[in-house]
Amino acid sequence: MRSYKYVGKPIPRQDVSKVFGDAIYAYDVKLPGMLYAKLVGSRYAHARIKGIDLSGALRVPGVVRVFAGDDFPFKVGLYAADRDVLARGKTLYYGQPVAGIVAETLQAAEEAAELIEVDYEPLKPVLTIEEALSPDAPIIHEEMSKYRHASFVYPKPGTNIANYLKLRKGDVSEGFRKADVVVEGVYREPLISHAYLENWVGTARVFHDGTVEIWSSHQSPFAVRHLLAASLGLPEGKVIVHHTFTGGGFGGKAGLLLEHIPVLFSMRLGGRPVRLELNREENFFFMAQRAGYLFRMRTGATKEGKLVAHYGEYYLDAGAYADYTVNIGRSVGFVPTGPYEIPNIHVDSVTVYTNKVPTTAFRGFGMQEMHFAFEQQMDKLAQELGIDALELRLRNAIVPGKSYLPTQVRVREDAGDPAGTMKRAAELIRLGKEIKKPKEPWKFRGVGMASFWKGPVQPSNAASSAIVKVNEDGSIDVLVGTGEMGQGTINALAQIVAEELGIPVEKVRVSPARSTDSVAYTWQTVGSRGLFSEGQALLRAIDDLKNQAKEIASLVFRVFRDEVEVSEGKACVKGKPWECITLAEMALGYTLPNGRAIHGPLIGRGSHVPSQTTYLDPETGKGEPKPFMTFGTGAVEVEVDLLTMRVKVLKAVTVLDTPVINPGLALGQVYGGAVMGISITLNEELKVDPEGRLLNPNFTDYKVARAEDIPDEMVAEFLGVGQKNAPYGAKGIGELTMIPWPAAIANAIHNAIGVRINELPITPDKLLQAVMRQRPELLEALEKELLEAS
Amino acid sequence: MASVLHFRTTLPNFTYRRPSSLNELLQLKAELGGEASLLAGGTDLLVDMRSGIRRPKVVVDVKGINELHLLEHTRDRGLVVGASVTLGELGRNELVRFKYPVLYGAIRKLADPSLRERATLAGNIANASPAADSVPPLLVYGAKLELASLRGRRQVPLREFFTGVKKTVMREDEVITKIIIPEPPEGSEGEYFKAVRTSEDLAVVGIAALFANKTEPRERIVRLGFASVAPTPLYMDSVEELFRRDAPINELIKEAIKLVLKEVNPITDVRATKEYRLHLVKYVTAYLLRKYLG
Ligand SMILES: Cc1cc2nc3c(=O)[nH]c(=O)nc-3n(C[C@H](O)[C@H](O)[C@H](O)COP(=O)(O)OP(=O)(O)OC[C@H]3O[C@@H](n4cnc5c(N)ncnc54)[C@H](O)[C@@H]3O)c2cc1C
Repeated sequence: MRSYKYVGKPIPRQDVSKVFGDAIYAYDVKLPGMLYAKLVGSRYAHARIKGIDLSGALRVPGVVRVFAGDDFPFKVGLYAADRDVLARGKTLYYGQPVAGIVAETLQAAEEAAELIEVDYEPLKPVLTIEEALSPDAPIIHEEMSKYRHASFVYPKPGTNIANYLKLRKGDVSEGFRKADVVVEGVYREPLISHAYLENWVGTARVFHDGTVEIWSSHQSPFAVRHLLAASLGLPEGKVIVHHTFTGGGFGGKAGLLLEHIPVLFSMRLGGRPVRLELNREENFFFMAQRAGYLFRMRTGATKEGKLVAHYGEYYLDAGAYADYTVNIGRSVGFVPTGPYEIPNIHVDSVTVYTNKVPTTAFRGFGMQEMHFAFEQQMDKLAQELGIDALELRLRNAIVPGKSYLPTQVRVREDAGDPAGTMKRAAELIRLGKEIKKPKEPWKFRGVGMASFWKGPVQPSNAASSAIVKVNEDGSIDVLVGTGEMGQGTINALAQIVAEELGIPVEKVRVSPARSTDSVAYTWQTVGSRGLFSEGQALLRAIDDLKNQAKEIASLVFRVFRDEVEVSEGKACVKGKPWECITLAEMALGYTLPNGRAIHGPLIGRGSHVPSQTTYLDPETGKGEPKPFMTFGTGAVEVEVDLLTMRVKVLKAVTVLDTPVINPGLALGQVYGGAVMGISITLNEELKVDPEGRLLNPNFTDYKVARAEDIPDEMVAEFLGVGQKNAPYGAKGIGELTMIPWPAAIANAIHNAIGVRINELPITPDKLLQAVMRQRPELLEALEKELLEAS
Repeated sequence: MASVLHFRTTLPNFTYRRPSSLNELLQLKAELGGEASLLAGGTDLLVDMRSGIRRPKVVVDVKGINELHLLEHTRDRGLVVGASVTLGELGRNELVRFKYPVLYGAIRKLADPSLRERATLAGNIANASPAADSVPPLLVYGAKLELASLRGRRQVPLREFFTGVKKTVMREDEVITKIIIPEPPEGSEGEYFKAVRTSEDLAVVGIAALFANKTEPRERIVRLGFASVAPTPLYMDSVEELFRRDAPINELIKEAIKLVLKEVNPITDVRATKEYRLHLVKYVTAYLLRKYLG
């Protein structure tokens, strides 16, 4: 990568300080006269509501109103409008909101909560993918045919199927005929939680003219605005969404969350402000979590190690609402394998409803889960073929400009460097080299790798825009619509502005706080698309601004516009560095010596919309789904302790092909992504009992890695192979950093003890079971060592 | 049971009292009995109040009573820990560290540093959780509790204190005033092994092991205490007796494991399966015995 003054430098964040408490979160927003809302949940995973008695709650002093399902006889949602505001007629999961209380204080609302009486007629809950698909399964969404669906979603009313996607490339039976080796596998991941630090909160009010205003904890202010408008039948122009700092999202705060609830309550209460704030348990029940997965795969290769066929049945356990998860079902269907060219692919990806907590997007959008399965298939093939795991990957890696995507379009010439990441990661983890043996005989070490790719899953026309304003002192304010939730995109955008205009980065402000009525539009802050999309819009806005500066200078110095250049915060006539006007001097336009003013304030604007992405064929999936793909490889060294059955990641290596704008923040993403991925691999799971009751809606038993669980050694490299239309070549990395870990760890465990684990999380319980089944001799050795040795 | 699920953010109303003498405290307890809950660090009590498991009318803070802040060591009584002494204080205490390494190890593995600055040793015991980390070490050190009420004071060996999950021999008007941990056996050593899911966790299984006079059968001390393997923390008398026998260590270890496996009765719950807990009990106990005796 060329060397720049600001771009490519680890410049600390320039925006508001969190450490000093300057950052404002949605939780901090309190309005005069504000009321408090409280939701109460169903005691049954699946039941008819025979009656509901709100009278006790209404008698509690301070209670203003109590709402139940029938108060809001419509559904809300994004891709599949399948959500009740409050359960109507039936409850679909344990904990589903059945009533909402509004009171003068939170305590009054909480006192009233216990007095709500619901009369249920329990129904059989559907708790697994297999149960949901069985022909005599109870139907969860009986009125699915009446739901509003996005055009690319294919539900099957009368079943529990929320979306059915087909991907067909080549001829898979022909492919398997050519295969010398075929490996099969069934892989599973449970429902998990995003476990972001900040629980959801939203405060809404309604003006006398019907304008709705809300502050909430979300990722994408404009998506919230659009979906609120669509769900409540309001014009977008009458909805103002305020974005503050968001305390983590990881996909769990994409789209519309619970914003409609305080808005609807406020509407019914004469517009008085209403706040709904969730505590941790409520956040587990009322916010959407991540889907569960089941993959059945068959993958074939020739004895030369060429992949020739892949057959897959993929299932997503979407829980009670599949609103956003239907699109993840599409995502894993369109990118159904790792970053390899496979000529023949046949995949069905089915998103199913169950009576569990609803699900939504999650960092990686299905790619971590799909790679967990596929990258183990690769290692199994390598073993069967007797080819080194790296070598097999290299023989099949996507070659930019030559290979074809599973969706049958050619991979762009400047797509990146998949093979480069594989080689480097293998080198850094010392794949195939001798591993140090721990001194305890019941500890084993192993290494494993997993390659991956991912790009944003977005509508073909997902747009973004940017506005750049110059202030009197020559400083710059940038208005963009991307959400700030810790990733630091806004810092990278500031660096781009500083670089392009040649001004100190301290003079550029990209405020993290924004409102939909005063910043530039962007579709969503998801899919690692922020920098790539906003960055392109911003570069155009800067160009626009520079052109205006050149225009002014050309009038002042009486030269042609293209004789003027903008750098070091000035517009100068080329070759005449004494003929310059600074940005500060023309911030509000320029006043000539005779007092006549020209142009007015400088304000650059830029828009971006991807030009290559297309719709995908409903029968085969053919088309261009993504504006970019980032390629990478992760590798780990693990230690398996058979005494405790715990797996420890000693070293984690990440190699990504893209250049980065800010290596400091990029490393932050890499470390955070690795820790999150490792935590998901080893601990995380939403557990339900046979009645469908969630057993661990808290951090006592939903275990998330802590500081001491971080691997001793984490290594990251960026190869700097950029995509031409990306800002400074930089593609997205936010989600990518957490994709490879489950697969790499599973492969490393196999390398260490010869045991294959197809299901997350890899808990001690599960490892014990697997060792007993696959390598009982390891336990016999432990017995001998500890109980028989003399 | 309420017919809806709800999770409080605020606490229900209660009266807060902060007596400044033990007598005042005992009077309150005598008057209110079970309606008053003692508040030490509150790291169990407040959790239970928010979740609705407990709903005391009166919350009595014990931290205002000087006598309960006592922490002293004498050769004849051992270590005396007042009921308001925090785990943080104990974890920084050099004497605890060098004289009672098994207890020290357990404290350093209990929750995290910030929580330990509030949580007390007395609270950990009184809460009577089968997973209480401080209890197995206190069992192997032969700790006693002093209980007090207006009726008087009595000492109860910790080994006789627990009667079930969250149940103890403490009467409604009684409070723990101090924990008395006798002088450990000369030259003793050992450790607390805590099996966890992540670096901060409640014990999936906890094993305290204390050893002294390893080579002299009749004088040999081998004491094992367990957490999270039964409805109460367990102390294994039978193992202590067994190791007084003059037999090859290997055989004694094998025999000890059999005894231990007979006495434990772990369950499958949200944290782990019974099978895995048994694996831990068996192999980790064997590992500890071998490490110190083998
Ligand atoms: C995040 C978190 C992590 C935790 N991790 C662990 C862990 O790893 N291991 C572990 O063992 N525990 C753990 N705990 C539980 C808890 O912190 C400990 O049990 C702690 O020692 C309790 O002490 P406390 O002073 O906070 O008790 P409190 O909550 O004040 O009291 C606990 C109980 O004892 C009663 N009580 C208090 N003082 C007396 C007295 N003098 N006489 C009679 N009764 C009394 C109270 O009424 C109450 O019933 C954890 C708790 C939390 C919130």
